[in-house]
Amino acid sequence: MEDYFVQLKHITKTFPGIVANDDVSIDIKKGEIYALLGENGAGKSTLMSILFGLYEPDGGQIFIKGKEVSITSPLKANKLNIGMVHQHFKLVSDQTIAENIILGAEPMKKKWGFIKSIDIDRANKEVAELSKRYNLEVNPTDIIKDIPVSTRQRVEILKMLYRNAELLIFDEPTAVLAPQEINSLLEIIKSLRDNGKTIILITHKLDEIKQVADRCAILCKGKLIDILDVKKASTQQMANLMVGREIELEEVREEVKKGKVVLEVENLSYKDKDKVSKISDVSFKIYEGEVLSIAGVSGNGQVEIADAICNMIRATSGTIKLNGKSIDHMNIRERAEAGIAYIPEDRQNVGLILDFPLYENLILKEYFREPYCSKHGILNFNEFKKQSNELIENFDIRSGKGCETTVRSMSGGNQQKAIVAREIALNSSLIIFVQPTRGLDVGAIDNIHNKINELRKQGKAILLISLELDEIMALSDTILVLYSGKVQTIEDAKNLSKNQVGEYMMGVHNNA
Amino acid sequence: MNSIINDSMAFALPLFIIAIGGIYCEGSGVINLALEGLLGVGAFFGGLSFAMISTQLGTTTNSMIYLSLIFSMIGGGLFAILYALLAIRFKANQVISGVVINMLSVSLTAFLANQLNYSLFGQASNKFMLAVFPRVTVPFLNKVPVIGAFFNETYVFEYIIIAIALIMWFVLYKTPYGMSVRACGDNPQAVATAGRDVNKIRFSAVIISGIMAGIGGMCFAYSISTNFSPSIYVGYGYLAIAAYIFGNYKIGQTLLACLIFGFARTFGYLIVQALALPSTYSDLALTFPYIVTLVLLIFFSKNFTAPKGLGEVYEKSKR
Amino acid sequence: MLKKMNIFQRIFYAFCGEGKARKLRTSIFCILASMVFGGIILLLLGKNPIVAYKSLLQGAGILPKIKYPGRKNQLTDILNLLDYTTPMVFASLAVAVALKCGLFNICVSGTMIFTGILATTLVGYSNLDPFVARILVVIIGIVGGGLLGALIGWLKYRFNMNEVIVSIMLNYIINYIASFVINSRYADPISRESVEIGQNARLTLMNFEAMGLKMNISLLFPFAILVVFLIDFLMKRTKLGFELKSVGTSPLASKYAGMNVKRTMILSMVISGALAGLAGVAYYLGTYGSIQPRVLPALGFDAIAVALLGFITPIGCFFASILVMIFQCGTSYLSSRLGVLREIASLITSILLLFSACAVYFNQKADSYHNKFLMEDKSDE
Repeated sequence: MEDYFVQLKHITKTFPGIVANDDVSIDIKKGEIYALLGENGAGKSTLMSILFGLYEPDGGQIFIKGKEVSITSPLKANKLNIGMVHQHFKLVSDQTIAENIILGAEPMKKKWGFIKSIDIDRANKEVAELSKRYNLEVNPTDIIKDIPVSTRQRVEILKMLYRNAELLIFDEPTAVLAPQEINSLLEIIKSLRDNGKTIILITHKLDEIKQVADRCAILCKGKLIDILDVKKASTQQMANLMVGREIELEEVREEVKKGKVVLEVENLSYKDKDKVSKISDVSFKIYEGEVLSIAGVSGNGQVEIADAICNMIRATSGTIKLNGKSIDHMNIRERAEAGIAYIPEDRQNVGLILDFPLYENLILKEYFREPYCSKHGILNFNEFKKQSNELIENFDIRSGKGCETTVRSMSGGNQQKAIVAREIALNSSLIIFVQPTRGLDVGAIDNIHNKINELRKQGKAILLISLELDEIMALSDTILVLYSGKVQTIEDAKNLSKNQVGEYMMGVHNNA
Repeated sequence: MNSIINDSMAFALPLFIIAIGGIYCEGSGVINLALEGLLGVGAFFGGLSFAMISTQLGTTTNSMIYLSLIFSMIGGGLFAILYALLAIRFKANQVISGVVINMLSVSLTAFLANQLNYSLFGQASNKFMLAVFPRVTVPFLNKVPVIGAFFNETYVFEYIIIAIALIMWFVLYKTPYGMSVRACGDNPQAVATAGRDVNKIRFSAVIISGIMAGIGGMCFAYSISTNFSPSIYVGYGYLAIAAYIFGNYKIGQTLLACLIFGFARTFGYLIVQALALPSTYSDLALTFPYIVTLVLLIFFSKNFTAPKGLGEVYEKSKR
Repeated sequence: MLKKMNIFQRIFYAFCGEGKARKLRTSIFCILASMVFGGIILLLLGKNPIVAYKSLLQGAGILPKIKYPGRKNQLTDILNLLDYTTPMVFASLAVAVALKCGLFNICVSGTMIFTGILATTLVGYSNLDPFVARILVVIIGIVGGGLLGALIGWLKYRFNMNEVIVSIMLNYIINYIASFVINSRYADPISRESVEIGQNARLTLMNFEAMGLKMNISLLFPFAILVVFLIDFLMKRTKLGFELKSVGTSPLASKYAGMNVKRTMILSMVISGALAGLAGVAYYLGTYGSIQPRVLPALGFDAIAVALLGFITPIGCFFASILVMIFQCGTSYLSSRLGVLREIASLITSILLLFSACAVYFNQKADSYHNKFLMEDKSDE
């Protein structure tokens, strides 16, 4: 009989409208790295949230070390030595690392024999020891908001270790990291296993699984498809199972002739309201029919460049020219009119007004001009709907009640389609995409990638900002790598390997 | 000089204790515009208890005064439960429900004060008369220049408030509960994953703000008018909000802000007195603390950083 | 689905559940619920709530009274009701317009005093021709209120100030300064209020004699109806209205769409202020004719309840105004007939406000019933 740490049996969970987990059973051995593979929306995170006590399953049983348990809250999960490193870190930004780690399990001391208070010195010491033992370097007294993403992740791991977690669940831990940081995280995960911990790794990246995992369960649309021994399975095999159909890993790229310069950015700099420099001296050009990508670890100034071009933030210095004319003096609307379309990073809070119907969102950038609005400022909703229905048809936007649907009730993929449709309809010469595929399923990602390729063929200038290196490698003509707001390199995509880009992203590439 | 310091402190300290309640409440992520109403209901309960006991016994003693203080805490806390239900349980808009609570407080206390005066004491009045709060002089310390004034003929409640404030500071910064309160205002998810109940912590923080507002309101009733009447609603709750906004949600800095308001108020009256202006000018003096608040807000609002999760409704199912 | 619910759930669902005219039904639910609460209070006081509510309606002119004093009848009562309602319509619209743009204008009371004292001192005691004087008063209301609104909007945007605190501070500052002005120059020694303004500037025709009756006719009431429709059109059909709603729902997305968020916010405060200013002149130079020093008009705060009860729509505000004013106008008749305190009316209004603030929750709750019972229904089949 094998020594199982966790056994999930026939887990089923439904949300209104979807079955997130459909009769899923997996067993995880003590001391192994077990990967959960699947696309976005396959039900991996839901399954793990059930194990961590965030959701209650509609049916099925959970066994920990052979005993049946019901996990109704994260607190209970903690008591069963289960810890989870979430995709979105759950840290208190204005408290120290040590305070974050001890939250909920504070060491106490007594003053004068009766007044109990938190023993912050002991906490600092314990955290320092823990970080040494597991090789997770942090300074216990640093404030969370001052430390980089990779350190925050370490804090999350330490939080679990501090609670003596034996099973650690990692939810897409590499999504926010640069390639080199990914490697060191994977090393940490391996060393945790070697220290006797059991690991569950949720991911949709095959190479990571290849690198560290022992076994791998593949989920698709809520169902368990297969469980593979990673050493014996091929990458292609796993990929096919994950998507549920044959996929081509390689795509052929057509050559497109570059035309005139569309966007010219010179010495662009931006300091935020605390006078911290976010981008400094960035210069580049984008030509017609060119896709220029900005690669970089999250928070290194990529989004600020896009925002500065559209004037969502005001550049501190530098000039921006569109089609040969300076647009520095223009406001957001004037720039959009001059020919900038922008698909923003935060589609729900920036790109759309979720509580407005689809037809108002689809005309959000043109509502003020004829035929949508008369000279006297009276709106014509018939025109709104006419144009909307056309876009809905052309871009295959699916929604419950057609153009009357409230955008909030639409799926993420269709929300993004709506934004892309609106922005492409503006027929601008420059189109900026920021993280266009984040959180979308494979079908929707394909759709967006095809749109970008199509626009390139039409001779549009495209600025693509993405954290997904694979996406950048697949779509770009030119790659600009940004590190702490400074340009590390601008190079023809053909001359760069993924690894080189990774080194630039970390700011460690030797130019020699 | 002595009276300036005394008057200012007698105003600043109740304001301070109300603001501390606000820091707990907003620090946990719940907007609290209801302080004004909470302090009124607190004072109402205190005033009512005092009036009932003193009519019952026919005398007034100091212990009854302290008892009324406790009743005002209970009253403020109970009324705060109503606000917590609205803001947390019913997920109503926190700004609007805060103002709603204030209006309800005004009409409820006005109604009850009239009704109870009539049915309990057989009087047609909306006031509860109070006794004069005892004052003490600390020997030796009162001889120290400038600061000494604070130890000369001081209301006892000022010392009570300082003691409570110290305890509240300790709880907020040195105990697991306080740490969770502050964490709830920044990132409620962090608290939930640490195994604590966000909504319970917020609920308790709102109630604490009610208890603190109750004390503050009662002390205002004692120091300013020696009675409870609906004229207790003159915006001191809102001044307290302004105070902790200046104080950047920190207890120490908030005290400073309260002192500024206290002195502004005293100086307003002093100017009218010193210039020997007719009594109608006291209306102008009354505007002084509000104007100071506005001007300070103009200068400092840019730098304020409210708790990140302020006003954000926490729902379990949301990840 | 319905058979699974208990009687209370069924009633609740019928009012707040999915379906036609949901907002209206939810509002009616809030009204009835607060009346039940008020009824319980009345019972506790030993009064018959049905008689009480009936005399409320009688006092407001909705039902005929048993007897009338000379030269008064139900018509004069209704005209009185409309006269009292007029400022409330403007005030609730002021709250609604700001709320639509995501701003909470709690300075309606202060604005009312501001335009009230301005118009009283500038025009109220003059010998101008009635037509000119009245037009001037209305203009002062609109311009004065608009300027004050602009100030609040500007302070919010320029200095990142919380508009609620700014509004409250302004309320008190205006209140005390107005009281200073009244007490030092315009106080009536007997009433201790400001001296009553001349009939030439009064926006209500007082004791107008016709058909053998003495009536108080609000000249602004027709204008108020017009304004309701204007604001409704503005919000629903115009570019400005679209921008207001958009900024109110998502300032970030509105900025991204190229709207001038700052200008839109200030503009909404200007419109809101102008409406509040109109409420001020309608109140102090119409219904009352004089100003009580040191008292912020409760109407400015009640307007928040009215706007919420009217689901922040202009037409809704109009009907909610009439409803709430029925409560307030009927109170004196109620208190004289049943011997209860006048304060009961504002207490019931506050409870109504409490329920209105929870309207969104009621709808969510009804939806959750809907989901719960609907799902059970499906699994039964």
